[in-house]
Amino acid sequence: MATAAVSPAAGLKTKGRPSVPKTRPTPSERRRNLTGWVFIIPAAGLITIMSFWPMLQALLLSMQTGRGTRLHYAQPLWLNYERLLNDDIFIMTLKTTFVYLIIQVPLMLGTALVLSVLLNNPNLKFKGLFRTAIFLPCAVSLVSYSLVFRTLFANDGFVNDMLMGLHLIDSPVNWLGNTITARLVIILGLLWRWTGYNMVFYLAGLQNIDPATIEAARIDGANAWQTFWHVTVPQLKPMIVLTAIMSTNGTLQLFDESWNLTRGGPAYTSMTMSHYLYELSFLKSPNFGYASALSYVILLLVAVLALIQMKVGDKRDA
Amino acid sequence: MSRLLTRRSALIGSLALAGAASLAACGSGSGGSGSGGSGSGDGNTLKVWCWDPAFNIYAMKEAEKVYKKDHPDFTLEIIETVWDDVQQKLTTLAQSQDFDQLPDIFLMQNMAGQKNIVNYPDIFGDFTDSGIDFSQFPESVTNYFNYDGVQYGLPFDSGTAIGAWRTDFLEQAGYTIADLTDVPWSRFIEIGKDVKSKIGKPMLSGQAGASDLIMMMIQSAGSSLFNDDGTVHISDNDVLHKAVGIYKQLVDEGILIEVNSWDEYIGSFTGEQVVGTIQGVWISGSIQTATEQSGKWAVTNVPSVDGVPGATNYTANGGSSWVISSNANAELAADFLKSTFAGSTEFYDTILPSSGAVANWIPAGKSDVYNEPVEFYGGQAVYADVVAFGAKVPSVNTGVYYYEGRDAVSAAITQVVGGADLATALKDASDTTEFAMG
Repeated sequence: MATAAVSPAAGLKTKGRPSVPKTRPTPSERRRNLTGWVFIIPAAGLITIMSFWPMLQALLLSMQTGRGTRLHYAQPLWLNYERLLNDDIFIMTLKTTFVYLIIQVPLMLGTALVLSVLLNNPNLKFKGLFRTAIFLPCAVSLVSYSLVFRTLFANDGFVNDMLMGLHLIDSPVNWLGNTITARLVIILGLLWRWTGYNMVFYLAGLQNIDPATIEAARIDGANAWQTFWHVTVPQLKPMIVLTAIMSTNGTLQLFDESWNLTRGGPAYTSMTMSHYLYELSFLKSPNFGYASALSYVILLLVAVLALIQMKVGDKRDA
Repeated sequence: MSRLLTRRSALIGSLALAGAASLAACGSGSGGSGSGGSGSGDGNTLKVWCWDPAFNIYAMKEAEKVYKKDHPDFTLEIIETVWDDVQQKLTTLAQSQDFDQLPDIFLMQNMAGQKNIVNYPDIFGDFTDSGIDFSQFPESVTNYFNYDGVQYGLPFDSGTAIGAWRTDFLEQAGYTIADLTDVPWSRFIEIGKDVKSKIGKPMLSGQAGASDLIMMMIQSAGSSLFNDDGTVHISDNDVLHKAVGIYKQLVDEGILIEVNSWDEYIGSFTGEQVVGTIQGVWISGSIQTATEQSGKWAVTNVPSVDGVPGATNYTANGGSSWVISSNANAELAADFLKSTFAGSTEFYDTILPSSGAVANWIPAGKSDVYNEPVEFYGGQAVYADVVAFGAKVPSVNTGVYYYEGRDAVSAAITQVVGGADLATALKDASDTTEFAMG
């Protein structure tokens, strides 16, 4: 609003003096300009050196092939990318990662949204306690929570003991030894760890919603669901898009859960792309060119999915 | 305007230069601090990377004491570095060519030997002029670090495999340790079925999806996942087919139970869920944590693969070797290793009782300490036996792509146990390994 009020005036100002192509900056303006640059340059320089330069190097590396340190440019240059398409393990990790993405992200964001609306209720008692309890999992270290989940779902672990105690199963389920259940445990782990994190974003978003809009809906006769769906959710849309992009990004780069919970097993079926990337670089006979190509594929997927989500989810500028 | 531009660009340029200079200073600073410890220094200090305080770090400290007797100025700077970190550091340093950061000596898993020598030849110093007599080590072990006839590693702890069994459980089922000695797998399975039906316990346990037992089986029959020329030897490997078949039978008959983690694996035999285990002798450390079971255990060799000419009852799993880096004070490092790990019975006599580090150095096996009865194993002279086993282990080529091959075979085992066709699963494993070698 503020910028809208200012811009016509600014426009008038330039229109008022059409003969001068551009105003020469006064010395004080010039100094201020330079000061701005001085403030920006260190950060920009560091980002360029620390982030963009390695990215460029990785791109060059992804076109190289060879053993260990003896790398040379591949013939053709896109050889590693071509190789990825024929790599059964890569295709499997890609599928697995998308299974996590498609099941876990909507489930988690939905749960987070519902929880945040419930916890935003002004009449709720012990609100702080609930909020802390739900947020707490994401303060736990990735490794330790993975190990706890691993212990819980061991053959002689708590989950099997409990289910057997309740006579729901006769013999222990080998949770981490079967493809479907191993993936399920990873998804459960992710839900436990990250739902609270996203909930906090929604809570912040909810604070910015004018209570009058909800009150108005109520007065107009909307029930709780209608109010939530037609009044609250649309206003939370920017936040939902943000969390969806972050979660997609995070899931595509998922490593800790796959590594610590299942080691990618059984037979690679719960392994994520980033886990495979790590194996290619450090556990097996290192193939850094190939691993870089894989990292660029992940980057591309993140970028494309983020773009789609921004186009689909955010109608503000449309 | 142009004056402004030049001034501006000059400012940007100088700032960028300053930034670059400060970064460069950081880089050379850290490089400099690292090189201090690596051999240069006072010429009497060696820097070492190894990982287990109760085992190889302890052994190094004792070695330092032994060497200090003749070289009072000598000191050792031991930096505890877990194996995964050692491998990552080697990879990173090799990529960045920053060899100053290497220690003088580091410990390396035997199975990773060939891979690292081939990938990062610049990292390794060789033992050619060390004067160490490598014929005093079993060929099967020196082979892990022998490339093109040059020796790059000095074997330290033995990976010789043992079958460790609870004699009291065997007795309840009417067997003795002698019944499990020098047997083929077919006989082992018969006994296993009988034991299972009589006392209700499986013979052994293993981590699901781990191919340790398979790798031990094929090595005992002198086979490997790779041919001598480095080509893949998986789908056309008769011994491997037999081994995977035996493994599936063990699981199907309930003689072997699969668990998911290492802790569960250890817990299965210390917690009396199974009769025993087949593993590298280093597992003895974990077995002996169950102090209340002292006297109830005995050690023997492992079953041999049926129907393979030349199959033995001896094999290995794991183990590690000392490597001298290319950046080392090579003369001192070689002399230190020669006087301790490759030349001092006194040294091995010290480390054996307290850490259970069984030597690969054959002369050590003749000493009294090795021949002393071990109370935990019912008075058996276990260590002398294991050294004797070690000398009979067939030598095989682990190959550069050992980990790729082993992983692929692990996946095949999971599929076969789950009911997939053995030949198809091994064909897939072969293809996967060949692809990885691409």
